[in-house]
Amino acid sequence: MTDHPARAGRAAPSRRDLMRMAGLSALGLGPAGCGRGFGGGGGGGGDGVQLTMVWWGDVERAKKTQAALAIFQKQNPGVTVKTEFQDSGPYKDKLATRFAAGDPPDLMAMRTDSLREYADRGALLDLTQHKDAVDVSALSEGARSLAAVDGKSYGIPAGLNSVAFVVNKAVTDKYGVKIPDGDTWSWEDLAAFGRAVTKASGKKVYGVNFETFNVGYLDVFIRQRGEDFYTAQGALGVTEGSITAWFEMIQRMRADGGFPPAGFIEDVGTSPEQSYQAKGLIAATIIPTNTFLVNNKACGGNLVMLRMPGETQGERRGQSIGCPHLWSIAAASKHPNEALKLLNFLINDTEGAKTTGTTRGVPSNSQVADAIKPRLERDDQVATDFLIDLQKEKLPPSYLHPPGSTKIVANLKTVAAEVEYKRRTPAQAAQAIIADGRKALGE
Amino acid sequence: MTGTTAGPALVAGPAAQTPPPAPPAKRRQDRAGYLFLLPWFVGMLFTVIPFFASLYLAFTDYNLLTPPRWTGLANFREMLGDPLLHQALKVTFIYTFVSVPLSLAAALGVAMLLSRGVRGLPVYRAVFYLPSLLGGSVAIVLLWKYIFGLDGIVNGLLGWFGIEGPAWTADPDHALTTLIVLHIWTFGSPMVIFLAGLRQIPVMYYEAAAIDGASRWRRFRSITLPLLSPIIFFNLIQSLISSFQTFTQGFVMSNGTGGPANSTLFYNLYLYQKGFSQFDMGYASAMAWMLLVIIAAFTALNFLAAKYWVHYDN
Amino acid sequence: MPAPPYEQDNFIERIGGTRRTRFTKHVLLCLTGAVMLYPLAWLVSSSVKPALLIFKDLSLWPAEWDLGNYSDGWNALGQPFSVYLVNSLIIVVLGIVGNLVSCSLAAYGFARLRFTGRKLFFTLMLGTMMLPGHVLLVPQYIVFAKLGWLNTYYPLLVPHFLATNAFYIFLMVQFMRALPQELDDAARIDGCGPFRTFWKVIMPLCLPAFATTAIFTFISVWNEFFGPLLYLTDDELYTVPLALRQFIDSEGQAHWGEMFAMSFLSLAPVIGFFIAGQKYLVKGIATTGLK
Repeated sequence: MTDHPARAGRAAPSRRDLMRMAGLSALGLGPAGCGRGFGGGGGGGGDGVQLTMVWWGDVERAKKTQAALAIFQKQNPGVTVKTEFQDSGPYKDKLATRFAAGDPPDLMAMRTDSLREYADRGALLDLTQHKDAVDVSALSEGARSLAAVDGKSYGIPAGLNSVAFVVNKAVTDKYGVKIPDGDTWSWEDLAAFGRAVTKASGKKVYGVNFETFNVGYLDVFIRQRGEDFYTAQGALGVTEGSITAWFEMIQRMRADGGFPPAGFIEDVGTSPEQSYQAKGLIAATIIPTNTFLVNNKACGGNLVMLRMPGETQGERRGQSIGCPHLWSIAAASKHPNEALKLLNFLINDTEGAKTTGTTRGVPSNSQVADAIKPRLERDDQVATDFLIDLQKEKLPPSYLHPPGSTKIVANLKTVAAEVEYKRRTPAQAAQAIIADGRKALGE
Repeated sequence: MTGTTAGPALVAGPAAQTPPPAPPAKRRQDRAGYLFLLPWFVGMLFTVIPFFASLYLAFTDYNLLTPPRWTGLANFREMLGDPLLHQALKVTFIYTFVSVPLSLAAALGVAMLLSRGVRGLPVYRAVFYLPSLLGGSVAIVLLWKYIFGLDGIVNGLLGWFGIEGPAWTADPDHALTTLIVLHIWTFGSPMVIFLAGLRQIPVMYYEAAAIDGASRWRRFRSITLPLLSPIIFFNLIQSLISSFQTFTQGFVMSNGTGGPANSTLFYNLYLYQKGFSQFDMGYASAMAWMLLVIIAAFTALNFLAAKYWVHYDN
Repeated sequence: MPAPPYEQDNFIERIGGTRRTRFTKHVLLCLTGAVMLYPLAWLVSSSVKPALLIFKDLSLWPAEWDLGNYSDGWNALGQPFSVYLVNSLIIVVLGIVGNLVSCSLAAYGFARLRFTGRKLFFTLMLGTMMLPGHVLLVPQYIVFAKLGWLNTYYPLLVPHFLATNAFYIFLMVQFMRALPQELDDAARIDGCGPFRTFWKVIMPLCLPAFATTAIFTFISVWNEFFGPLLYLTDDELYTVPLALRQFIDSEGQAHWGEMFAMSFLSLAPVIGFFIAGQKYLVKGIATTGLK
């Protein structure tokens, strides 16, 4: 680690800086402070087109995106891109408010589970009408249809991802537990693995933990049973039997020690540093593949990536290709042509993608993905290979969440907690999820 | 804009009933009063438009993206049969009626201790006020989870007494308790107001009481309490309103879900979920106006009761 | 810090109890104080820990030091952190001025003047405290957008100058109503109009209420998140809370250490203001005396 106390001296605010700061604030009342923030700045650059583009993420992602946009603006003189980003919670609120006030951004990052809330109400541009402006020929069929609603398309994946198991090898080595073969393991193997770790460590480390309410994880299990959580038409496709089986499986794992007891895991947020795996309390968990690098860093580089269990035993494959971010264009955009041009750049420009890397998942254009791979950090390469390999296989598609699904997601989380604390049996939980789900979707 | 149609008609209400010509002294009083309130009147324009916009939206189906559609009382009818709304009311009522009295008692108690010229008073005052500065920040909420975790400090302390504590924040039976404790812990704001109020009480009253040989309890009962009563009343009303509207702590603590198992689903948190996550701003607006009615009812009750215990000097 | 020698403090302390009760009082206060201070101590200690240790090692004394959090955090975002601090300070200072002026005027009107419609307006004012703010966000945004105020500080400042925060009006009303009515009567006999009475008699006696208002405004404006989030789009106009949120994102490597370091830095002005302002909390009738 590079924690030299001396380093602080160089860049930290000096006393003079602080003095200047204090002075400035005093001037805030005087003429010098007026201007910035008081409507003084001339808006927009004259005759050129100004696009607004928004996404969620942290400052790292913003720096990478800005670098790509610099390339775009050099290629397209006269077009400036005004950007804004927040973390995902506030992002969602501000986006909704801007749409409500008739002031939407031109190009925006969109989640697959809220896309239809916007698209079904005509707020987004149908991209199938603009096939010549945005080239999607280098996207796999699965990637192309990720944002399709009734033959129309309202977004293009900014990147692709899937879910995977990650096992901390340092833990399994320490306690002498063998990591199962990730290509062929079953859910029973997972349970046995969890049991073995917990037992060998004397409950210092629990074998397995994952969010039992996560639709993405549950969906893998369900697809392996031949169902879809949501069907292509946006109806509820899952049966009570499958949800019951999911919760019963978890309850069994909890009972025999492989899964931590109720209340052991606090809901402290999902940042890698806070994860129970990084804290060394859990051996194996599920993550979205695009977070492998940061998770591995937090775990000291000891993570091994495995496919989801049950892929070779089920009725069909359960894993599918998803995407953490879509790019969408507002139907009310005043500059749709420039926005489409920018979208095309973001999807297909290799130079641009080299600067953004895999911050939004593996680029959906597979040629771009191949081209940037050598430049990636090793862990990102591992995740990229995992996804490139998956895309070559025949996987079931993943369908968009219908409007009303936010309620189902919230309900799933509630019910999962009730099962954890034995307020409901798995069968009662399944019944509640299906009944409330039907109501939420207006079925 | 949506609300403007409903707005003016209702605003015009009070102004329309202009009283008959008043005597000059009265008119002078009026003029002075309105002058003092001038900024407030202008400000009401900013407040009133959104206010009545939301009142209108309460009677519509509004998803933020397409224009609102008038549905009459449909939202209110739906509220009657919404189990989550009932849960939210239950959580909010429990929270309010437990944490408001406790935090006010703590605030008044500590303020009394501190007002008695303790050595190092400014330091104590700052220290007690700190939690209110930190209150709803993400960092503190995270820490709170660790303190109340299965292996946290609280359970460690309970362990000394042989008690095996639960996972306070993860267990649906206890999560609300930790939020109540968090609220009481931020008693600094009402305390500051009490301290300021105690300073308004003329010392001569205490001097006179001391000469009469009144006991401490007597002095508290017959000097402090009545003279502080307007401030106690303020803190009471203010705490009631703000805890009925609790949002941030519940939001940050549960990542916006109101979990575990809806045990911390505050009314305002559910309202926010409806409006911004589920795109049902019509329903959220109806919920908002129902909360306004509930709060107004409790406030009115308090104003009625205040006649019997709040002492004003006029 | 030597406490100012208030004569009446000594007097009250004398009637406040014996030596033993005073000792137990201090022990009690110190214990409570420790509980109150713990989170701040944790925040400070987290700000000098390497990111990976923050959640692994919850002890207050860091096993490993990383002061780099401060220098890295200062320069990590789109602007140096000083920009956000200055922006927040500008808004806070103007917000305090606005609140003090507009709310004290309104409060005096409500508390001391008998004008037609007083009760009705007072009820209306209280009513504005009771509606949950979330349903007002969208209509307010539309109003400010129509005024062309997006991406400026006006939506964050103008309301303060127009007494839109009923909390402070109500607070001052209660303080003013607690003052003896003879004050006004005496002033009127001396020939003072309402403005003179307000300025010369009531204002000086309400210093604690003003200090409370200033402190509370400082804290609430300094910490406000939703307003700046909605109304500001340029990075260079951002306030401290907006900036702090840019350190964390669930999909990236959250910069917890830097976030804690900057959080602590941004707490310093608030704590400083409280300590500076609190001496006015005690300047009531009790200290100025009542003739």
